[in-house]
Amino acid sequence: MTLVTARELWREYSQGGVAALAGVSLDIQTGEFVALLGRSGSGKSTLLNLLGGLDRPTRGRILVAERDLATLGARELSLYRRTTVGFIFQSFNLVPTLPAWENVALPLVFAGVPRVQRRRAALEMLDKVGLGARGDHRPSQMSGGEQQRVAIARALANRPRLLLCDEPTGNLDSATSAQIMALITDAHRSGASLVMVTHDPELARRHAGRILRMADGRIVEESRGGA
Amino acid sequence: MNLRGMIWLALEGLLRKKGRNFLTTSGVFIGVFALTLIVSLGQGLSRAVTSTVSGTDNLRQVGLTGGFGIELSNDPSEIEIAGEMDDARRERLRRAAVNRRQIRQVAGRRANAIDDRTITELSKLPHVESIAPVIVERYEMKLNGHESPATLSYGVDVGRRRYADRVIAGSYFSGPAAPEAIVHEYLLYRWGMLTDGDYAAVIGRKVKLKTIQTELTPEQQAPPMLQDFMRDLTDEERKAMNTLLPKLLKQLGQTTQRRAAEREFTVVGVLREQMPGDPFNVIEDGNAVQADLFLPQETARELFLASAVNIELGYPRALVTVTDAEFAPEVEQALRDKGYTAFSVASALKQIESVLLMITVSISFLTGIALIVSTLGIVNTMITSVIERTREIGIFKAVGATNGQVMTVFLCESALIGLVGGLLGLALAALAMIPGDLLAVRLINEKAAIPFDQPVFVLPLWLMVAGPALGTGTAILAAILPARRAARIDPVRALRHD
Ligand SMILES: Nc1ncnc2c1ncn2[C@@H]1O[C@H](COP(=O)(O)OP(=O)(O)O)[C@@H](O)[C@H]1O
Ligand SMILES: [Mg+2]
Repeated sequence: MTLVTARELWREYSQGGVAALAGVSLDIQTGEFVALLGRSGSGKSTLLNLLGGLDRPTRGRILVAERDLATLGARELSLYRRTTVGFIFQSFNLVPTLPAWENVALPLVFAGVPRVQRRRAALEMLDKVGLGARGDHRPSQMSGGEQQRVAIARALANRPRLLLCDEPTGNLDSATSAQIMALITDAHRSGASLVMVTHDPELARRHAGRILRMADGRIVEESRGGA
Repeated sequence: MNLRGMIWLALEGLLRKKGRNFLTTSGVFIGVFALTLIVSLGQGLSRAVTSTVSGTDNLRQVGLTGGFGIELSNDPSEIEIAGEMDDARRERLRRAAVNRRQIRQVAGRRANAIDDRTITELSKLPHVESIAPVIVERYEMKLNGHESPATLSYGVDVGRRRYADRVIAGSYFSGPAAPEAIVHEYLLYRWGMLTDGDYAAVIGRKVKLKTIQTELTPEQQAPPMLQDFMRDLTDEERKAMNTLLPKLLKQLGQTTQRRAAEREFTVVGVLREQMPGDPFNVIEDGNAVQADLFLPQETARELFLASAVNIELGYPRALVTVTDAEFAPEVEQALRDKGYTAFSVASALKQIESVLLMITVSISFLTGIALIVSTLGIVNTMITSVIERTREIGIFKAVGATNGQVMTVFLCESALIGLVGGLLGLALAALAMIPGDLLAVRLINEKAAIPFDQPVFVLPLWLMVAGPALGTGTAILAAILPARRAARIDPVRALRHD
């Protein structure tokens, strides 16, 4: 079943007339693991943001789970992010003043889940990423790998169908990267479709089912991964 | 929408910058503090005034004083200055004429004296329940070897329990016409009688009272026609007329009455001073505040009318009681229309309350401006907060916050600033009222003749709600623009922000 259908996606910035995306078309099947490779500035993050409904294309159509993201209003787009998408960033993007469990529970706040249930669900998620005992620690008290694990727990808190990872191991050493990739493949195995931006062709080949290479806002090469 | 979760996020955001947010709160705090105090003061004063006078018959009583007649009205528009002159001089002379006219009228005979005949007549006015003469008179007094040349006496309506309750030695009057007297403790103090034994020693003694002025002046004895004639004389002519008058009156067959009224009464009790908390009728008891000797009303009246002067001039004042407080202003006006001077607490209250309201409203207005200025501080703090939390806003949006929810977080943040400021303002205002009340009551009692022990500050329930609500409301208003700005932040850019 097709989860994502994108046709002739353009994302242009009026300043300087740069086109971050210049006519991208792609389909992603449910349960797929797609890796995006490409040089810095080639448009990988831009594509990911469009898929996640954080940004809108200036031209083109993008359907995710039967929703036409280009036509959704701001509110529906927020609901789409809340119910369907999980983001994992290179720089973790945790709220530094909140303890780990509250960071994980953040999506549930906006979903209207009461605090007691939020805490229970968050601690459960933290347990799954191996941080069950660290719920009350602040991000500053954790290593980079631990912070990224908190971020993964947060991304999975809403049980998203589509997990979008933007260089999730970019800031981590190789041993820690392996732990993070193990968690991400776990999530994939439990049913989430996955799009992951990475610089590392080896990583892409090992985990992804399909590898797309981008350059100048276009998909220039498609190959099969090892998974 | 789960508001509690967002309030929680707002609170967490606030606690990060305690110092800054506390400073911002202080604007609201000062505004609500001042507003609460001022409105409470207005409430308290008006309630204090009302309850001070509403305990007894205050609102049903109208004080009546003999007037000078409508035909001798002071209406300045009636006076005209004739002759060729410039406007400025005409105005000066007109003013002079008005002033002189008034002075001469005061010296003259009362056109509207209050005597038994007029009392009967005025009693027929609608809504009038009763009219009683007020008998306040000075007498030469002898008691227990002490003498006083001009003791002020007051005729007590014997039915008034509040006088009975102030008797601290001996007993109260046995009846409205009893030949009895009660002395004020201040008189005894002036005579050096201080102990309970001294007080007791006075009971049962005889007090001798003698009329001071028994005789009318020749002018007062003249027939009304002659009095009117004399009113228009020059001082010189008037002097001459006064020397001639006694002879003229003798010729007319009018003899001066010489009835030196003298009475002896038994002292039955000692009255203590009026104190805060005692019931007090402003109009009725206002006549008695300086009295040292008290007589039953009928006894006092009989003695009063034993003097020819008093028969001629009538009672100085009378006390009108109306059937219901709501008619007091109406009766007051009716009496004025008949040429008397009338005064009622009910209409005075209305004036006091409108003045209080004016003061409260105008100061509240100033405080409101202070509150508005404090919103500028809130706007500033909120804009700073939004900028500082840009990346966080990006995170909120990435995990599914709607624009409305982002806005709500910041509105809650500001609302909390306003609520805390408002509650602090309310609490401190309530605290400040305690010493404020003590001070005000002391000051008022030092100055005022009417005993006063009411709270000056009254904090009504609606104000307890309205004060903090106002602070919260203003803070929310102040945060609308910053919060909208937060809601519109582009999440992609915010997540790159550092
Ligand atoms: N807000 C923006 N205004 C102008 N250009 C932008 C903006 N955001 C991204 N770009 C440009 O779009 C292109 C693609 O960026 P991005 O998708 O972040 O690349 P990648 O993630 O592959 O490194 C880059 O050339 C970048 O400079
Ligand atoms: Mg990128």
